[in-house]
Amino acid sequence: MTRLLAWIAFLFGALYFALPLIGMTEFSLKMRRGVYSLDAYVKVFADPRFQETFSFSVMMALATIAFGVLLVVPTAYWVRLKMPGARPWIEFVTLLPLVIPAIVIVFGYIRLYNTSSFLPLTGSTTGTNILLMFGYATLALPYMYRSVDTGLRTIDVATLTEAAQSLGAGWVTILSRVILPNVLIAVLSGAFLTFAIVIGEFTMAALLDRPAFGPYMQLLGANRAYEPAALAVIAFGITWACMALIQLLARFAPKPAKPVKE
Amino acid sequence: MSVQSAMPMAGSGKPNFRLPLNWLGLLPFIVFALLFLVLPTVHIVVGAFQDRDGAFTLQNLLDLRNGTIPASYWISVKISVASAALGCLIGFGMAAAVTLGDLPRWMKSPQLTFSGVASNFAGVPLAFAFLATYGPVGVVAVIMRQSFDIVLSRDLGFNILSFWGLTSVYLFFQIPLMILIITPALDGLKREWREAAEVLGATGVQYWRMVALPILFPSLLGTFALLFANAFGAVATAMAFTGSSLNIVPIQLFAQIRGDVLGNPNLGYAMAFGMIVVTGIANGVYIWLRTRSERWLK
Amino acid sequence: MSAVNNSKANSDAFLAINGVTKSFGAVQVVRGADIAISKGEFVSFLGPSGCGKTTILRMVAGFETPTTGRIVIDGKDITDLKPNQRKIGMVFQSYALFPNLTVAGNIGFGLKVAGKARAEIDQRVEEMLKLIGLPELSDRFPWQLSGGQQQRVALARALAPRPAVLLLDEPLSALDAKIRVSLREEIRAIQKELGITTIFVTHDQEEALSMSDRVMVMYQGRIEQIGAPFEVYNHPKTKFVANFVGTLSTMEGTIADAAKGSVDAAGTRFDGVRLPAGATNGAAVTLALRPEALRRDRRDGDLSLSGEIIDVDFLGSVIRIDIKAGGEKLSLDAFNDPTTPPPAIGETMTVHFAPDAVLTL
Repeated sequence: MTRLLAWIAFLFGALYFALPLIGMTEFSLKMRRGVYSLDAYVKVFADPRFQETFSFSVMMALATIAFGVLLVVPTAYWVRLKMPGARPWIEFVTLLPLVIPAIVIVFGYIRLYNTSSFLPLTGSTTGTNILLMFGYATLALPYMYRSVDTGLRTIDVATLTEAAQSLGAGWVTILSRVILPNVLIAVLSGAFLTFAIVIGEFTMAALLDRPAFGPYMQLLGANRAYEPAALAVIAFGITWACMALIQLLARFAPKPAKPVKE
Repeated sequence: MSVQSAMPMAGSGKPNFRLPLNWLGLLPFIVFALLFLVLPTVHIVVGAFQDRDGAFTLQNLLDLRNGTIPASYWISVKISVASAALGCLIGFGMAAAVTLGDLPRWMKSPQLTFSGVASNFAGVPLAFAFLATYGPVGVVAVIMRQSFDIVLSRDLGFNILSFWGLTSVYLFFQIPLMILIITPALDGLKREWREAAEVLGATGVQYWRMVALPILFPSLLGTFALLFANAFGAVATAMAFTGSSLNIVPIQLFAQIRGDVLGNPNLGYAMAFGMIVVTGIANGVYIWLRTRSERWLK
Repeated sequence: MSAVNNSKANSDAFLAINGVTKSFGAVQVVRGADIAISKGEFVSFLGPSGCGKTTILRMVAGFETPTTGRIVIDGKDITDLKPNQRKIGMVFQSYALFPNLTVAGNIGFGLKVAGKARAEIDQRVEEMLKLIGLPELSDRFPWQLSGGQQQRVALARALAPRPAVLLLDEPLSALDAKIRVSLREEIRAIQKELGITTIFVTHDQEEALSMSDRVMVMYQGRIEQIGAPFEVYNHPKTKFVANFVGTLSTMEGTIADAAKGSVDAAGTRFDGVRLPAGATNGAAVTLALRPEALRRDRRDGDLSLSGEIIDVDFLGSVIRIDIKAGGEKLSLDAFNDPTTPPPAIGETMTVHFAPDAVLTL
C-alpha cells in the first residue's frame, strides 16, 4: 500500500521535473514552422553577443576558480594544521553568502567601491571586472570551502606537512606540491560547481553592468521567443556536464593518505 | 598570497612569537571576507540608519511602510515560506522513499545526481524552461488547446505568472536542494534504532514522533532556513519569469538600485537591510531552536 | 547448572522454534531449525558469522519472516505477529540507544509507547537503574556514557517492559576484553534473578560456554548440536563442533583393530580408543585431543607420545606447548608452576593422555 503510494508520488515528482525539461527542449526545436529544426540554436550560436558574453562569463568563471583555489586551499589547510579552534568561525563566515542575498552584497559593493571611495573599483572596466570576480568568489565560497575542507579531512595534513618539512620543503612547495595534488579532486569538484554558478549568474553581473552570459539570456528572453528555450537547453547542458564531471571525479577521490614522494 | 604571508612562520624559531603569528596564515581570508562580505553588508546596515548627509535617522525604515513595499515584503515572505515548506516536505518525502526502502535502492544515486543538477539549474534558464512549457504558447498549453480545446488561463484559472506559479518554479531547485541535504541525514538513521523501537512495542508513527524526527530535527530546521533564504534572495528566476508583474522585494530592490537617481538612495539601504533582517530572523530562529535540542548532540 | 534435557517435548517448551527455514532469494541461510527452550533457560546460539544464528534471532524478534516453519512463545504462535506485538526484549551489538533521549528516557521508552502512567514509568525506570547498578546516570545522554554503561542501559531498556523473552544479539562484541568478562557475569546474574527466558547470540565460544544453560552450535544454516556446555565441549557430535568449540589437535590415523580400539597414528599405535559404531579395520579415522587432556605426568592406563617441542607460549596461568610427533602437531596446556621454568624449544617431550580423552571424528 505505502509502496503503491510511493510510486504514485514518485511518478508525480518525475513528471514535475521532466515536463519543463521536455518542454524547453521541444520548444527550442520549433522555430521553423511545422518541423523540428535546430534553427534557434544556429541563431544563438551565430549571435556575436552570445559569443562575447559567453566567453566573458567563461573567463570570469576561470578567474574566479583560480582566485578561489588560491584563497581557500591555503586557508582551509592552515585552519586544519594550526588553528583548529578557529574552524567554527571560519565555517560560519563561509556560510554567510548562503544567508545574505547576493543582491544585498552587490548593492554594498556598488556603494562601497564607487569612484569616490578608498578603493574605487567601479571606476574602471578592469576594476569592475575584478570586483565582479570577487563577488563570484564570495558566492562560490560556501561550496568551495566545504569541498576543499572535506578533501583535507581524508588526508593527514599534519603528517604530510611534517614529512615534507623533514625533506626540506618550504611552505610554497608544501602547498603546491604536496597538499594541492592530494586534494585536487576536491578542488576540482568545487571548481566545477563554481563554474556552474558563475556561468549563469545574473544579479551581480547585471547590477555591475558587465556583459555576462546571465544578463544576455535575460535580455534575449525579453525580446525573442525560441532562442531563450535554446539557451535554457544549453545552460542545462552545461550544468549537467559540470555535475557529471564532479560525479566522475568523486570516483577517483583518494581514500587514505598517500605517501608524499618516493 | 596566503603562502607569502605564511612565510615568516617557517623562519621564526622563537616559540613565544609563534602563537600570535598563526593568525597571519588566515590574514588573506580575513581581509577578503572583510572587504567583500562583511564591510559591504555593514555599509548597507549603517546606511539604512543614515540620511543623505550621513546623520542618524529612522526615516528610511519608516519609509518602508510606504507604497508597495510592505506588500512586496509580504509576498516575498509568503513565496519563500511556501516554497521552503513545500520543498522541505516533498524533498523529505522523496529522499525518505528512496532511502528508507519504499522505492528501490538503486534509484538513490540517480536521484542524488539529478538533484545536484536541478538544484543548480536556477535563474534565467529555469524561468525559460517553465515559460516554454506552461506559458501561453508553451508546450503544455498548446497540447491542451489543440487536443482538448482547453485554454489554461481561461478555462482552468491557471496563471503561471502568479504566486503559486512562481512557487512551483522555485520548487524546481528547492526540492532537489532538500534531497541533497537530507539524504545523508536519513542515511545516518541507524536501522537498529527503528528495530529497537519496534521491539519495544512502538508503532511506526511512535518511532517517527519520538525518535526519528527529533534526531532529524536540527537538519530539517537548518535546511528550512537555508531554503527560505535561497528563495527570498532569488532575483534572476523571478525577474526572467514574471518581469515585474510579481512585486517581490528583490525585484523592487533591483529596480531601486538600477534607477537610483529617482528615489531616495537611502531607501534602497533600508530595503536591503530589511532583507538581511528577514533572512537573519529565519536563521536566528533556526539557531535558537537548535540550541534547545542540542543537549543530546555531541 | 540446570542442564535441561534435550528430549523434553516441544509442548513443554516456553519458546519453540519448529522446522524454521529462511531463504534470501536462492540462498538458504537457515536450513531447518528445531529447538525447544524452557522457561527461564539461557540458551546461546554459537557459530561463525554467516551461520544463520542471527537470522534465527531476527525471526524470533519479528524482523524477518520464516520461509517455512513456526515460532511459538508460551503456547502462542507468533510467527505472523509484528515485532511490536511480540513482547520481546532485545539488546543489539551496537547498543542502539536513542541518542535524543536520556538514560531514563531510553529505559522508559517501552512503557511510554505502551501508554503507561508517568508514575509507573518513573518507578520502573528507577528499579531498572538499580538493577544495572547505574542509579546516578538517569539524566545522562547516551554519548556521555562508556560502551559498557550504554550496553547496560540497553539491557535495562529491553527488560523494563517485562518481556516474555530476552534476545541478546552479540551484546558484548563491541566492548573491551575486561568489560566483556565482567558484563557477561552481570548479564547472567540479572537473567537468573529475573528468571527470564533468554537467547544469546555470539561467535565467542568462551562466552557461550560460560554463560549458558545450553549451547546451540550452528554452521552453514544447520544446527550442529544442542546441549549443555559440558556436553558440547566434551562430546562434540560433529567435526565442526569439535573444531569450533575449544582448541583441538588432530591426528590422521588408520584403524588397526576395530574391536580393541587400536589406531595407528603419528607413527604410534594407540589402544583402547573409543571408536564410532561400525568402524572397520583399515578405515581412516581422525583422532582429536584437547590441549588440557594432554599431561606431562603419566597415569595408569595412559597412552603416550613423544615429540619435539616446536613452540612454547607463556599465557600467564597456563603454558601452551606445541610438539611435533610423527608429522602431527599437538598442543598441550599445563598450569604455570612458578618454581619450574617452561621447557625450551627443541627439547624432546613425552605427553600422556587417557584413552577416554581421545575424540574420534
